[in-house]
Amino acid sequence: MDKAKKFIVSHAPFWHNGNSVNERYYHIMIAALPAVLLGIKQYGIPAVGVVALSVSSAILWELAMNYLTHRPITIADGNAALIGLLFAMAVPATMPWWAVLTGTFICVVIGKHIFGGIGSNAFNPVVLAVAMVMVSWKDLFDFDGALLNYDLDMVMAYPLAAVKHFGVGAIESFSTADLLLGRQSGGIGATFGLGLILGGIYLIIRGFIRWEISVSFLLGVFLTAWIFNLAAPDRFAGPTFHLLTGYTLIGAFFLATEDSSSPVNFIPMLIYGAAGGVLTVLIRNIGAHVDGVVYAILTINLVNPLLDKIRPKAVGKVV
Amino acid sequence: MTSKKQLQLAYGLAIGLFIVGVVCYAYTAFSAKPLDQPIRLMYKVAAGNVLFDHQTHADESGYGLSCADCHHHPEEDEEANQACGNCHVIPSEAEPVPKTCLDCHEADEIEDAIPMKRSDAFHKQCGNCHAEIEAGPLEKECNSCHVR
Repeated sequence: MDKAKKFIVSHAPFWHNGNSVNERYYHIMIAALPAVLLGIKQYGIPAVGVVALSVSSAILWELAMNYLTHRPITIADGNAALIGLLFAMAVPATMPWWAVLTGTFICVVIGKHIFGGIGSNAFNPVVLAVAMVMVSWKDLFDFDGALLNYDLDMVMAYPLAAVKHFGVGAIESFSTADLLLGRQSGGIGATFGLGLILGGIYLIIRGFIRWEISVSFLLGVFLTAWIFNLAAPDRFAGPTFHLLTGYTLIGAFFLATEDSSSPVNFIPMLIYGAAGGVLTVLIRNIGAHVDGVVYAILTINLVNPLLDKIRPKAVGKVV
Repeated sequence: MTSKKQLQLAYGLAIGLFIVGVVCYAYTAFSAKPLDQPIRLMYKVAAGNVLFDHQTHADESGYGLSCADCHHHPEEDEEANQACGNCHVIPSEAEPVPKTCLDCHEADEIEDAIPMKRSDAFHKQCGNCHAEIEAGPLEKECNSCHVR
């Protein structure tokens, strides 16, 4: 008999350690703030408008659903606000108001409440909404077209579109430092690489997201992009470029890690993240879309229940 | 557990940010002024959109072209540049020779009032200049400008 203590169960009463769903979502919002603030600094009042309208409308949609479905008011848990914030981070600063309202409606009503509310959603609500708006109004997510009138003293071509349409020669002007410091066009809160990485590390250390998913997602992106780059360096950008552009970092730390649409066990989390990373680069390099993160995450969300079938062996013996 | 304080915070966020959002959108809409010169232009065409960096072509720190290098009309007044279609109107049955033709041409020198197609005009304009200075994409290199 193994003398090591593996699992201790004590009697009631239990002491709550203070963790709560509310705390979790407010911390994720705090971790996302540096990236959002840089976006607001770059794009000014229009970006403030998008973020404010997105967060508030997401909360109001949630409130409306609470009343319509005669369920307790859940807006205080911070989940709706977080959904609104993440949606705003993914869109350009010139997003029209009706598209923001439609996007947050899809997030909260279609992506979350139709599935049964918090913890029951099969897909990440934000990713679902971004995908639906992107497919419905393609031009809204054409960052080159959306940010025509901005001159921010940096290369304003959307990096992923540049490499997709014009090859590696078109992205020589982007340095790694520029990409890390947010000197690239894109979504309001999706371009500040360093901010997103620091936010992600904070969330991992505090235990609000799982490192297995983020790290395997990033590794999947890195290795796949590296292989493509080795095979055809003039056509496909290097791994660092893919890590620091588009939605890679916001996807790895803030979208793929969403609780109810991601696995809970160790091996499934690794497969889930790595599959997302691999798919992202496949879609970017040989797919029809400029960025692949959104569709990659939707796909891994879809296989999540299957992946969670891979379970550790139960301790003990059933007679 | 949700405390009353947290609920009040959520209501405050919802109402406060909604007001901020509406004010920002209204401010952006009403304070928008047309730029003296465009920064970038997106030509939306069936063959694939073209993103044209107007500022780099026109600015002294870029290629330093003067307005008249590309905009052929009106020749004296650079401030009055306007869209091609304002003058180059497609003739109709009611107006086989549009009035705008007569702003610059005599009636007897007009043989065919149908203007050059916009795509031909742009290809000629961009392609000829790039070929002349041997820089940038050439007319036959479609994918150097058009994105698909």
